[in-house]
Amino acid sequence: MRTIKEPGSAHSGLSDWYWQRLSAVVLAVLLPLPFFLLVAVYSGSVDQQGLLDVLDHVASRVLHSVLILALIIHAYIGLKVILEDYVHVLGWRIPLIGTMLVMMSGFGIWWLALIWAWA
Amino acid sequence: MSEQPVKHQRPTLPRPLSPRLSIYRWRAPMLASIAHRASGVVLILFVPLYLWLLHGMTGSPDHYAATLEWLHSMSGKFSLWLVGLALVYHFANGIRYLCLDSGWGESRAMMRFNAKLVLVIAGVAALALFWMLS
Repeated sequence: MRTIKEPGSAHSGLSDWYWQRLSAVVLAVLLPLPFFLLVAVYSGSVDQQGLLDVLDHVASRVLHSVLILALIIHAYIGLKVILEDYVHVLGWRIPLIGTMLVMMSGFGIWWLALIWAWA
Repeated sequence: MSEQPVKHQRPTLPRPLSPRLSIYRWRAPMLASIAHRASGVVLILFVPLYLWLLHGMTGSPDHYAATLEWLHSMSGKFSLWLVGLALVYHFANGIRYLCLDSGWGESRAMMRFNAKLVLVIAGVAALALFWMLS
């Protein structure tokens, strides 16, 4: 592995890259869990009471919160990179990325409120 | 000998700054990269659906039954199949990218091999999920 001595003209290119990887590792661990839960409910091996028991547990709420945080960071950077690649008009790109960030943050706050409100 | 500063001239033709789909020859690593983005978008679109499902499944028993019925409908099964496939692929190729970032498997031959490997994993996952859901 070579060491990069000059980080390009912006001199601060590591931030997005680093957060994308950090959130990726968190997601790689956490994201399969809700999928397995969904499959378990789908197959009938977990009924509604079982599902509520899982979701009510404080560990599940904490993990869901961490998952949402990592998901938003990862999804934001991922979509931002795609938009930066394919939306060439600056007057479109910047409002699009901004709208996306605001929508994702709002969605995340709403979801967090929902998770912690489960009785 | 003193170095002359390099003069940067603005190119007369607009250069392809972005990954242009129509310019480069299709190769496994390119397909793997595009599929990573596509599966990422699918996973993002599934997030509101997952929240809607959780909302339904934590509601009244009737609400739960209705949500479960939707999951077993054609569109529910297709959604599960698509998100399962996107998750498996994005997961496998994501680990591939983490390996490449840490300098493992960077040679051209290895890049082509492990790109093909994750695409094969996705193909197997697509068939397995189809078999499980049908």
